[in-house]
Amino acid sequence: MTEPLSAARVGIGGPVGSGKTALLECLIPAFADRGTSLAVITNDLVTREDAERLQRSGLIEPSRVVAVEAGACPHTVIREDPTLNLDAAERLEMLFRPLDLVLLESGGDNLASTFSAELVDYWIFVIDVSGGGDIPRKRGPGVLQADLLVINKADLAPHVGVDLAAMTKEARDVRHGRPVIVTNCRTGEAIDDVVDHIVRNVLFDD
Amino acid sequence: MLKLTGIVGMVSDSGLGEALHDLAHEDRVETIILDRRDMLRKRLRTVTDKGTDCAIALPRTTALDDGAVLLLETDRAIIVRARVETWLVLKPADTAAALELGYHAGNLHWRVAFRGPLLAVAQEGPRKDYLARLDAFLADGRISLAHD
Repeated sequence: MTEPLSAARVGIGGPVGSGKTALLECLIPAFADRGTSLAVITNDLVTREDAERLQRSGLIEPSRVVAVEAGACPHTVIREDPTLNLDAAERLEMLFRPLDLVLLESGGDNLASTFSAELVDYWIFVIDVSGGGDIPRKRGPGVLQADLLVINKADLAPHVGVDLAAMTKEARDVRHGRPVIVTNCRTGEAIDDVVDHIVRNVLFDD
Repeated sequence: MLKLTGIVGMVSDSGLGEALHDLAHEDRVETIILDRRDMLRKRLRTVTDKGTDCAIALPRTTALDDGAVLLLETDRAIIVRARVETWLVLKPADTAAALELGYHAGNLHWRVAFRGPLLAVAQEGPRKDYLARLDAFLADGRISLAHD
């Protein structure tokens, strides 16, 4: 018997406060509008705060959101030993089959966090302008290796003295042409572009 | 877009050899070349050397490998090949430098191979980015570049 195809898995990582959960809050309704069957896994250090925020949001059936408590450095459970997240993803697929997509949010980490290809099919790294216009120049593994780099909080650039055009250009330069999208999750700006990238690269129904 | 959802076999399989050989003679074998990192993926969008847009969606229990056959039809085959890797080979000046270099490479999450007294680092990005991280080591002679 042919094994049923599993849901696509997309990771979302990035520094603390860059807007990973805010991006999720934009992606969930966008995928709901497309009729995509979705579940979410959040990773926090020792709390369930991000999961509870999504469960309370009214955007998604609360049981479709599962929290993983990393208990240590957030990158360990998305890269070195992703067992907890693999278990959570399989559990969600069993409960809500047929599931199209699982979004996995990493706990906030530094610029070095990356996702294991054993865990996700595609991953997004979220940075934001208020973290500093020099982030791309620092060439952290997250910035360099992510399938898609999101620069969030575009609207804050003039208030924090960041030249957004220069920051974006540097991001494109260090990533050698791999995609970079500038978003504002508060207003939903460019969220459709993020959705399009996910659809094209792992959902395949573009 | 061509959806590829499983591995038919390996190019080395005796049962596939004749068919692949015949298709190759007619220039009907297409190749997908993947970086080592992408070989670990289960779902990805990619293009063959002949320009066919492919969506690979494998069961989670299946692993891509060099020589995997993803499609075998009467008029076409698609196979996967691993991109040849480039290595940056480093020669530590002494034991202390070797220890320090190993620690440094680990901190940077570099993938390495041990080659006797040499440390080889897999280049998964531009060579200059790796050399920039080794500036201090090269400048004071703790390490030197060796030939691969």
